[in-house]
Amino acid sequence: MMKYLMISCKDATMLTAKKEEGRLTFGEGVKLRLHSSMCSLCKKFEKQSHQIALESKEVVATDSELPEAAKKRMQEILKNYSSN
Amino acid sequence: MATKSEAINEANPEKWVELYSSMLFKHALPRVEDSFVAEDLVQETFLAALKGLEGFKGDSSEKTWLFSILKNKIVDHYRKKTRQQAVISMPDLRLMNDDWFNEDGSWAEEKIPHDWDSANNPAERKEIQKVIYWCKDHLKALQQSVFTLKYLEDISSDEICKVLNITPTNYWILIHRARLQMRECVEKMLLKN
Repeated sequence: MMKYLMISCKDATMLTAKKEEGRLTFGEGVKLRLHSSMCSLCKKFEKQSHQIALESKEVVATDSELPEAAKKRMQEILKNYSSN
Repeated sequence: MATKSEAINEANPEKWVELYSSMLFKHALPRVEDSFVAEDLVQETFLAALKGLEGFKGDSSEKTWLFSILKNKIVDHYRKKTRQQAVISMPDLRLMNDDWFNEDGSWAEEKIPHDWDSANNPAERKEIQKVIYWCKDHLKALQQSVFTLKYLEDISSDEICKVLNITPTNYWILIHRARLQMRECVEKMLLKN
């Protein structure tokens, strides 16, 4: 039974992706929890991947600006659309 | 102090460019190929919003509404791009050498995750977001698309498969490798400093 439940780190990392999407089967969940309880590396991987997932949503181009010329262009286009 | 338009969620198209063009652009740019595309999508967003003004019921803020239109425009952009490309025959990635793991599925020595600090304050969070942006740009084509749509735009895996015309199996392989690559890259960049 234990042998069946023991998954590799490679499989565990694959399952954490599924876990993120709520798509683990019951059996997969059991196997993943068992592996994570014994493997600090995969636990670390999961924690860090989760953090990356959270922060990715917030990524914005802080160092790039929309040029004023482009804004003026857009303003014109919108004005023309409204008046037609 | 909430302005009148914030209080009752009215739409004020005359102010859109002034208020929102910059933030829409800064949101779009990391999610598409370049600033020309980003600019285009922002413009299309404003036009679509103007066209659909009747449909703005004020149940969300003007800003939220515009961002949701932009999200659709970004997804449309990926859909169009995919259609215009030759059908990508995906190599069976499962057979490809998995650099991160040994034969027995254990972590390869050089690839094991190390400790790096959780981003606890706004400055650290900004730093990791910058690093993610950089690392994402270094993913290869399809992997980058999958990662961007899933993690930056929060699109469901089902929709991603439709948009990029890939099978669920392909998706899982791509997302798996993208996550491994991203985590490794983010770690390298954060531990460098």
